[in-house]
Amino acid sequence: MLSPSAHSWIEGETLGEHLEEHGVSRRDFLEYCAELSVVLGVGSALAPKMAHAIEVQKRPTVIWLQLQECTGCVESVIRTENPSIGDLLLDVISLDYQHTLMAGAGTAVEKVKAASMAANKGKYLLIVTGSIPTNNDDMYVMIGGKTARSVLEEAAEGCAAILALGACAFWGGIQGARPNPTGAVGVRDIIKNKPIVNLPGCPPIGDTVTATVVHYLTFGALPEVDREGRPLFAYGERIHDQCSRRAHFDAGQFVETFDDKGAREGWCLYQVGCKGPATFSPCPIFKWNNRTSWPIEAGHPCLGCTEPHFWDTMTPFYGRLPDVAGFGIEKRVDTIGASLAIGAAAGVAAHATMTVMHQIKRRRATDQVPEAHENAGENNG
Amino acid sequence: MSKVSNEVGARHPPGARYLREFGKPVPRERGDFTWVYLWGAPLRIMHWVAALCIVALVISGLYVGRPYFATTGEASAHFLMGKFRFVHFTAAAVIVMTGIVRVYWLFAGNAFERLPALFPMSPRNMRSMFKVMRTYFNFQTQDQPHFVGHNPLAQWAYTSVYLLMTVLVITGFTLYGQSAPTGFFYHLFGWVPGLMGGLQIVRLVHHALTWAILIFVPIHIYLAIRADYVERAGIVSSIITGGRFVASDDEFEDIDLAAGKSRPWPAE
Amino acid sequence: MAKTKLVVDPITRIEGHLRIEAQSENGKISQAWASATQFRGIELVVQGRDPRDAWAFTQRICGVCTAVHAIASCRAVEDSLGIKIPHNANTIRNMVLGMQYIQDHVIHFYHLHALDWVDVVSALSADPAKAASIGKSISPWPGNDEAHLRAVQLRVKKFVGSGQLGIFAGGYWGHPAYKLPPEVNLLAVSHYLEALDWQRDVIRLQAIFGGKNPHPNFLVGGMASAINLSQATTINAERIADLAGMIKRAKTFVEQVYWPDLVAIAGFYKDWGSIGGGVPNYLACGEFPETDVYDLKSLYMPRGIILNNDLSKVVEYDQTKVKEYIHSSWYDYSKGPEEGLHPYEGETNPKYTGPKAPWTGYLQDEKKYSWMKSPRYEGKPMQVGPLARMLVAYASGHKDAKELIGEALKKLNVGPAVLFSTLGRTAARGVEAVLLANKMEGWLGDLTSHIKNGDLATFTKDKWEPSSWPKKSEGYGYVEAPRGALGHWVQIEDEKISRYQCVVPTTWNASPRDAQGQPGPYEAALQDNHPLVDPDKPLEILRTIHSFDPCLACGVHVLDAEGNEISSVEVNV
Repeated sequence: MLSPSAHSWIEGETLGEHLEEHGVSRRDFLEYCAELSVVLGVGSALAPKMAHAIEVQKRPTVIWLQLQECTGCVESVIRTENPSIGDLLLDVISLDYQHTLMAGAGTAVEKVKAASMAANKGKYLLIVTGSIPTNNDDMYVMIGGKTARSVLEEAAEGCAAILALGACAFWGGIQGARPNPTGAVGVRDIIKNKPIVNLPGCPPIGDTVTATVVHYLTFGALPEVDREGRPLFAYGERIHDQCSRRAHFDAGQFVETFDDKGAREGWCLYQVGCKGPATFSPCPIFKWNNRTSWPIEAGHPCLGCTEPHFWDTMTPFYGRLPDVAGFGIEKRVDTIGASLAIGAAAGVAAHATMTVMHQIKRRRATDQVPEAHENAGENNG
Repeated sequence: MSKVSNEVGARHPPGARYLREFGKPVPRERGDFTWVYLWGAPLRIMHWVAALCIVALVISGLYVGRPYFATTGEASAHFLMGKFRFVHFTAAAVIVMTGIVRVYWLFAGNAFERLPALFPMSPRNMRSMFKVMRTYFNFQTQDQPHFVGHNPLAQWAYTSVYLLMTVLVITGFTLYGQSAPTGFFYHLFGWVPGLMGGLQIVRLVHHALTWAILIFVPIHIYLAIRADYVERAGIVSSIITGGRFVASDDEFEDIDLAAGKSRPWPAE
Repeated sequence: MAKTKLVVDPITRIEGHLRIEAQSENGKISQAWASATQFRGIELVVQGRDPRDAWAFTQRICGVCTAVHAIASCRAVEDSLGIKIPHNANTIRNMVLGMQYIQDHVIHFYHLHALDWVDVVSALSADPAKAASIGKSISPWPGNDEAHLRAVQLRVKKFVGSGQLGIFAGGYWGHPAYKLPPEVNLLAVSHYLEALDWQRDVIRLQAIFGGKNPHPNFLVGGMASAINLSQATTINAERIADLAGMIKRAKTFVEQVYWPDLVAIAGFYKDWGSIGGGVPNYLACGEFPETDVYDLKSLYMPRGIILNNDLSKVVEYDQTKVKEYIHSSWYDYSKGPEEGLHPYEGETNPKYTGPKAPWTGYLQDEKKYSWMKSPRYEGKPMQVGPLARMLVAYASGHKDAKELIGEALKKLNVGPAVLFSTLGRTAARGVEAVLLANKMEGWLGDLTSHIKNGDLATFTKDKWEPSSWPKKSEGYGYVEAPRGALGHWVQIEDEKISRYQCVVPTTWNASPRDAQGQPGPYEAALQDNHPLVDPDKPLEILRTIHSFDPCLACGVHVLDAEGNEISSVEVNV
C-alpha cells in the first residue's frame, strides 16, 4: 500500500514518472492511452497526444462511489463555496467517476473507471457515499451488475486513501438504524487496510469535504483525525461549546416550546431536545450554504447527525434522553425513578410504622413477664 | 440503660398509647456495656463530606437535567445554569477526592474499613444476610444475628453504592470531558461512549443512576435510625462519634468481645 | 437487422441505482425493462418511532428532492392528529418547496439532462462572437457576452487539452443524435457552469428557514424558524432582504437563461415531440395551498387525472383507488404475488429471486426484475411529474400555465400533441419553473404583510405533547414533489408510529410490468416510437429516461411500515 504522503501531487511528480517508478512500461502505458482515446470517443489517432497530456497531468484523480444512499451528500458537495464545484471539477481534481454528474452511462463509464484506476493505481483518492448492505448475500444494492461490496473492494484496492462522506458511509446511516433490515455497515467495517477519513453528517457540510480534499492536496497528507476518524479541523469541538445560543444556556434561558417567547428571543434549545451537547460538528463555525445559517440558528434543535448511530441514540429528536430500547425509556426514566424514590420513601414509612408497632407489642409482652430476658437484635441500618 | 417500669395505662386509646410509647426501648436486664470503636475519624469525615456532596450533586444535577426555573432579560446578566453546573462540578471534584482517600483507607483503615470488609461472601455470612432479610419482613428482630459492624445485607448495599458512585463518576467525567476534546478527562474517559454505545447513552445512564441514589438515601437513613430505635445499637452515633456501646454478654458475629478482637466476615 | 439485447447499467445523472435493459431492432427499441437495483428497507426503521421524528427519517429517502418527503410527513402527522398549522408556516413551506422546484429543475436541466442534448466537445469549435450574438438574440442575460463565452471556451479547451476529462469522460461526444450547432453548445456549456454557481445561492432560502440544505429541518405543527423583527437570530428584515434577493436572482436566471435555453434547444429537437410518450395517463395530487392543505380549491397547481391523452376532461383523483402490485418485483405478499394492495394494507417483504452476483446475463429474462413495485390507479399505470401537473393545469384552464404553454407552442410552431413525449416532459419542467419563479415574490409578500399586521405565529403548539393525542389515529399527507405526486400515510398508536406508507413519484414512473403485462411509464416511453442508432452508445435511452428526472432512492418502496413480522402473523391467521 502506498501512503498518501509519499505520493502527493504537490511534489511535482508526473504520472509518467510515477508509472515508471511502479514498473508500468511505456508500452503498456501507450496501449492504455489508445484504449482510453477510444473510450473517450476522440479517436485513436489522438492517442500519442493524449499520452503526452496524461504523462504531465497535474490534477489528481478522484473516484467517487455512490452505494446505498440518497445522494444528499453529493448535493451538499455541489453547494460548496471555495473551491466551488465548477473550479473543483475543472481546475483542482480529475473526477473520473461520479454517477450524478458524469456524462456517460453504462459500460462506457465502467470502462473509464477501470482504466483510470489502473493508470492511477496507488495514488487516486476514493470518495464513498452510502453504506454497504451485507444481508442476503449483499444483493440489496447492485451497480453495473456488481454488489456494492465488490464495487467498493475493487475501488479500494488501488486507492491511496478513502474519504467516507456522510453518516451512511461512516456507520450505515438511515438504513443502518434499528433494526437495520439490509445489514447496512460503513466503509471502515469493510475496508481495513487503507487510511479512511470519515466526514459524517446527514449530509456533511460541503465545505468540510472540499476542505479535506484541499488539505490532502496542499499538505500532501490526510488531516489529523479524532478517535472516530473525523478530521479535527472540522469535528474537533462540540456544537454546544461553539453555539451562538450558548450564553442563554449558561444564563438558564430556554425555549420551552417552539414559537414561544424564548424561541422568539433566540434562547437555548436544550429543553426541546437539542443534541448539541453530544455532537461534534463544525456547524456553528462553518455554518451551512455559504455561511447563511445552521440548524440551531434557524430555531431547530440539533439532530446530532455527525455522531455514530444517531438515528437510534439521538432520537426522539425532541427529547433530552435517548430511547435506547425502543419502548420509550427516555420518557419514563424520570417517572420510573421518581416513582421508585417515592415508593422507597413510602415503603420506609410503612415499614417504620410496622416496626414501631411490633416493638411496642414485644415490650408489652416483656413488661408482663419482667423476668424474661430479651436481647435486642443488633442490626446496623 | 435502665429498666423500664410498667406504667402503660389501658385507659388510653390505642393510637395515643402507641404514640406515648414511641421511643421507649424494649427492656432488658442491666449488664456491663462495652464501648466498641468502629469507624475511624477519616472514615466518618468522608461519610459526611460525601453526604453533603450528594445533596449538592442531586439538586444541581436535577436542574441540569431539567432546568425547572429560568431567568429572563439579558443573557449576560445571568449565569444560573452556569452556577448550577459550577456547584455540580465542584461537588463532583470533592466527592472524587473523598473517593480517592476512601480507596487509600481500604488498605490503611481498621478491620471494619478495609477492602475485605466490603465483600461478606462466606456461606455463613450469606445465611446471616437472609436471616436479616427475613426479620425485615416479619419484624421478629430478636431472631436476627448480631453484628457490631454492618450486617452482610447492609454491607452489600454499601458496596453496591460504591460501585454505583464509581459508574456515576465515570459517566459524569466522560460528559464533563466533552467540552475540552484536547483535555485530560476527554482522553482519560474516551473509551466510555464507545463502550456504552454513544454519548447520549452515557447521559442516560448518568441520569438514571441519580434516581438510584435517591432511592438509596431514604432507605439508608431510615434503617440507621431504626436500628438505633429497635436495637439501641447506636448506629447513628457511631458515624458521629466513631463507636457504640454493646452489651458485654452479647454474642456477635463479627467481634470477639472477650478477646477484644474484631473478625469481620469470619469464614465458616 | 436482428434483435439486439442491451443493458445500460448504471444509468448516470440520476438519483439512485437504475438499470435499463432493452431489445432493439432496426434502430428502434422494441422492448424495455427498468430495474431498480437498490433496496434500503427504511419501512422497519421508522416503525415504533415518535411520529414527530418521522419527517427527519422520511426526508432521508432522498437528498435531491430533499424537502418533499419531510413536508409530506409533517402533513400526514398533522392530518392524523388534527393539527392546523399557522398561515405563516404554510407560506414558508410553499416558499421552501417552491425554491426546491426551481433549483431542482434547473440542476436537472443543466447538470443531469443537458449533456444528452449538448455536445461539450463540439463547443470547442464554436465561434464565441457568433455564440454571443445568438445569446443576445434570445435573452438579455449578461453572461451571454463574447468575452465571457470566449473565456469559458478557453477554460474548457484547456481542460480537454489536459487529457483528463474527468466527469466528461465516457460521454457520447460526436454522436449523430447531437443536433445543436457549436455556438449553441458553447452557450449551454457556459450556462452549465453558471448554473452551478447560481443553484448554491438560491437554495440558501432553505437554510434560512430550515438551517441547512440538503435536508433542512421541519417541524410537525409549523416551522421552527421564529419571527421577531427585533432579534438577530430570527426571521427579521435582514433575512427577508436576503430572501428577496435570492428570489429575484432565481427569477432572473429562470427567465433569462433556463427558459430561453430550453426553447432554443427544443427548436433543434422538435422530432422528440413525437418520441417517448408512453403511458397516456397523467396524475397530479396538487400543490401550493394558499390557505391550507385541506382547502383543495386554494391549490395553485390543481389536482386531477388525465386519461388517454384527453385534455378535454380532468378526472377527479381519489387516493383509495391506488394499489400496488409486485408481479415483477422482488417482494412477497401474504395474499399472493398477483394481488394488488392499497397503501393502507401494504406489505414489504423483500424476497430476492434474481440471479446471483455478479450479474453477467440479462434481467429481462427473469419474471421478477426490480426492487420497484408497480403502483396502478384503477389498474392503470400513471405518469406523474411536471408534465402531469402542467397537463392537468392546462386542461383545468389554469390561466398562467395555459398562457405560457401556448406561448412556447407558438414559438416552436407545434401543436399540443407534442406535449405527450420526451420533449414534453422536459419542457413542462421549464414551464413550471417559470410559473413558480413568479409566485415566490407573492409568497414572500404574503409573509411580510402578515408580519406587518402583527401575525408572527409559525407553530401550533396545542397538539405537540403526546398526552394530547388520541390513542389511535391516522392521516394522509400529499405533496407534489418536483418529480411528481407523492403521498405519505401514517397510522399512530400509543404515541408511536404503527404504520407508515409512501407512494412516491418514481415508483409510479419507474414501475415494472404488472400482471396484465402493462409496462411502467419508463418502459412504455422507451417502447413508443423510440430510436436507438447505436446500441453501444445508448444516448437516446438516456434522453428519455432523464426526461422523467428519475429518483430511484425515492422510488423503491421504502416506507411502508408493515414489515415482515406483521405479515407473517397474517399468514398464521
